[in-house]
Amino acid sequence: MKAFLPKDQLPFLLEELGERIEVIAPVSTDAGPSFVTWQGQPLDLKDKPLTPITEFLLPHKEALFTYVQEAGRYIFKEEEIPSRLLFGIRPCDLHAIALLDRIFGREPPDQAYFRRRRATALVVQNCTSPGRECFCAGLEAGPEAKDPCDLQLTDVGDGFLCQAETPAGILILNAGRALLKPALPEHLQEKAKLLQEARRAMPQDRSCSQIRQAMERADWEALGRECLSCGGCSFVCPVCHCFNILDLGVPDGQRLRCRDSCMLPGFSRLTGGANPRRTPGQRLRHWYQEKFEDIPQITGLPGCVGCGRCHLTCPAAINRVDLTVASRFVDDSSEARR
Amino acid sequence: MEKVLTTCIYCGCGCGMFLHVDGGRIVGTSPSLAHPMSRGSLCIKGWLAADFVGHPDRLKSPLIRQGDLLIKTTWDEALALTAASLRSIQKEFGPQALGVLTSAKGTNEENYLLMKMARAALGTNNVDHVARLCHAPTVAALGFALGSGAMTGSISSLQSSDAILVVGSNTTEQHPLVASYILRARSRGAKLIVVDPRKTRLAELADLWLSPRQGTDVAWINCLLNIIVQQDLADRQFIKERTDGFIETLQATSAYTAEKAEEISGIPAADLVKAASIFGLASRGAIVYAMGVTQHFRGTDIVQALANLALATGNVGRDGAGVYPLRGHQNVQGACDMGALPNVLSGYQLLSSPQAQAKFVEAWGGQIPCEPGLTALEMLWAAESGSLKGLIIVGENPVLSYPHTSRVQKALKGLEFLMVSDIFPTETTALADVVLPAACFAEKDGTFTSTERRVQRVRKAVDPPGEARAEWEWICDLTERLGAKAEYSSPGDVMDEIASLTPIYGGISYERLGPDGLQWPCPTKDHPGTGVMHVSRFPHGRACFRPVLYLDPPETPDADYPFMLTTGRSMYHFHTGTMTRRTSLLDREVPTPFVKMNPEDARLMGIRDGTKVRVETRRGSISVEARLADGVHKGDLFLPFHFSEAPANALTAQSLDPVSKIAELKVSAARLKKEAP
Repeated sequence: MKAFLPKDQLPFLLEELGERIEVIAPVSTDAGPSFVTWQGQPLDLKDKPLTPITEFLLPHKEALFTYVQEAGRYIFKEEEIPSRLLFGIRPCDLHAIALLDRIFGREPPDQAYFRRRRATALVVQNCTSPGRECFCAGLEAGPEAKDPCDLQLTDVGDGFLCQAETPAGILILNAGRALLKPALPEHLQEKAKLLQEARRAMPQDRSCSQIRQAMERADWEALGRECLSCGGCSFVCPVCHCFNILDLGVPDGQRLRCRDSCMLPGFSRLTGGANPRRTPGQRLRHWYQEKFEDIPQITGLPGCVGCGRCHLTCPAAINRVDLTVASRFVDDSSEARR
Repeated sequence: MEKVLTTCIYCGCGCGMFLHVDGGRIVGTSPSLAHPMSRGSLCIKGWLAADFVGHPDRLKSPLIRQGDLLIKTTWDEALALTAASLRSIQKEFGPQALGVLTSAKGTNEENYLLMKMARAALGTNNVDHVARLCHAPTVAALGFALGSGAMTGSISSLQSSDAILVVGSNTTEQHPLVASYILRARSRGAKLIVVDPRKTRLAELADLWLSPRQGTDVAWINCLLNIIVQQDLADRQFIKERTDGFIETLQATSAYTAEKAEEISGIPAADLVKAASIFGLASRGAIVYAMGVTQHFRGTDIVQALANLALATGNVGRDGAGVYPLRGHQNVQGACDMGALPNVLSGYQLLSSPQAQAKFVEAWGGQIPCEPGLTALEMLWAAESGSLKGLIIVGENPVLSYPHTSRVQKALKGLEFLMVSDIFPTETTALADVVLPAACFAEKDGTFTSTERRVQRVRKAVDPPGEARAEWEWICDLTERLGAKAEYSSPGDVMDEIASLTPIYGGISYERLGPDGLQWPCPTKDHPGTGVMHVSRFPHGRACFRPVLYLDPPETPDADYPFMLTTGRSMYHFHTGTMTRRTSLLDREVPTPFVKMNPEDARLMGIRDGTKVRVETRRGSISVEARLADGVHKGDLFLPFHFSEAPANALTAQSLDPVSKIAELKVSAARLKKEAP
């Protein structure tokens, strides 16, 4: 199902949807855009939030269940999972969700992930103005959404071309039926043109194999000396998914699943104290190997979606794509980003 | 899900961050892309800053002592008991028998209210906080030399420096975001000189690493100044137009030749010459320093020596040139600014100034004592000798963080009344008569002031656990019970009073504090704040040189105690670990105490990585695991102070700097032996 939504009607559509389900949307704040529960705030559909939407499927910290001891027996209770509509997510993040589906869907499937995943509707916004850090085109993760989602939007100037792909997508459009106009062939032509331009605006030398070549050239120890071991790259990566489990509270408490980071030395430390990835350089090498060699073998897709968030968040003088020592602030002035 | 913009709780960088709140709980943290300091980045502690917030160990109700037990009580009873105990001590022994240790982890508003309570309600100037053990020498020395004891420029301005001299700061681990600006300057071509006895990461990346013997800083800094003058690299015009006292200083430093400095500090003379020419030739030279400079029994002299160097080269008052003390706590700058110090009111207004006295008396009513009070360690000594009877400690754990643990414990146990407010039970709350449960940074509103003088908002994201309360609330309540006025409807209200009484904060109000905050001095409501200080004049007119001379540290290794022990932090923990040891990922990284030693020393003693060793000084002894580290000099030991099971401060001494009253935490003579397996 296709339709056209004039721009000024978008808040009304969100209002309609907000009455039925919790809508998460990229809102504009004076400290940058971020995905939060939409309650009428102004939207920022231009800039990509630093924290990827995948935090709604794999929270940085989530209680898997609570445990309470009663008369010598333990009672377990799972938390309620809220139903959510994730609005305005980017094709790169959608591609990351497709990857996570494959990773967490391997036998045995990760129930905690799929409980959230099943309760989530996805509305994607195609990228007509990619950021300076973006290189999704080279990894076939954007700028047009190719992965399954419920509804796809494209900003074609004065409004959005809406393309529903699932029954949920049709229901979303039906909720705003009164606001919609018919989609015209020109809208589809405009979409193709804008996305072609967006593809061209991105660097052309960032494919999986090109990054593998950069990995072979990289001086990992020199890069590792620059790395500040903040873990930021793994916390903003929409594909990174490693976690740690801990029980907090005795005798009653919660079993927590917390995001972990392979950039921390403790992640790979063995019981006896030895560490196969002792240096930051070895850990950085591992991070890239996982994304560009291991995940492709396991899932058939590169473990990077080209969102460039690692480059945005890295406080060190490391070019996260070329794998050279160079401050992002030298070639890419911070003022330009602000 | 909502995302609440706030300021990080750990170091003095003051990074802007979002707390992700879902279902009334914090589920994540992320940096603000637009923040002038963090710009989309955080350090590992920052990324995990809110992890401890919902921890089950949190103090949830007020406690009072009954014999050996602390039992639950109501706020009313806890505060009534506190007020009655403080009043009876005040009546019987006078106000000088009371003291308040405020918190560098608290907000500006809380520090202001505590210092107001101490002065206006308790009638004492015995008010101090942990700055006494970190940057008291900076406040004293830079206050004298430059007229203000704070960082002279903005942290981000470091990226425009041509030469950066980093002294006694493990910046990549303790202030990682500051390090990122230093490394940014380096990738632009700036020269980096790192002075540290340990080979830190920054030392590995430096153009020049100077490794002095512990406690010999005045010798090599004077030597740099001496060489710079001899090579005619001093900024004569700046010295003439803007400073006093250069000639006397020059006379004093002329004795410090490269050879003599090498003899004292162990830094090769040729390296000193090289460092002097790098720094002397730079058109924008920055000096960055931290605890390695200040935590010495002559800490004030060392800071003054650095200030002398900056002044002689004209490196003050411009972007990328200046003196950059790195503060350890997120609000230790603010606690100082708020006058939580025994000799000044807010904004460093002297107690002895009749105008300041009159202004505060008019605002607060009643009387303010004129005589300066006791500093933190002096309060503990007074408790030990019995002249201090009642103490309030807010958000601090002196049993672990102050030197000479057994003496601190004895002093606190000797008090007639001890009240402690904190977010977790600590070694210090265990000794208290009344314990108050506090709201943490994510559960209250207020402001923090970062090390670059940036006043920023802290915002409530979730409710405090149980009956815990924001400290500003109980401070007002207690102040009123003690008979002084403290009627405020919100922290914003308190800030309005701070602004009305504190010229450097005069233009600050919550309405004006956007995501960038405001850097003081900000005297008026239309003032944009001050990034670079001292551009055309110093607050006290002309800057002051002061000659300083090298003195041997109070303890040097000898036959009985052949090692030189120094203390510090690990990258993954903060202070006494009350927060970071309850953050699962950080605790996983460094779960146990350790002592770092030189591999050659270890080999000679038959010690391997992980061997249990006993470290002893004249004060005490602890048992820890050995870690072999190439970066540690032969004969040196490095011990982090986060661990209650092996408290580093059981070993340190209380030799005080005569000016700033900081203790010598960086140099103790020690011995080490293998523990029986």
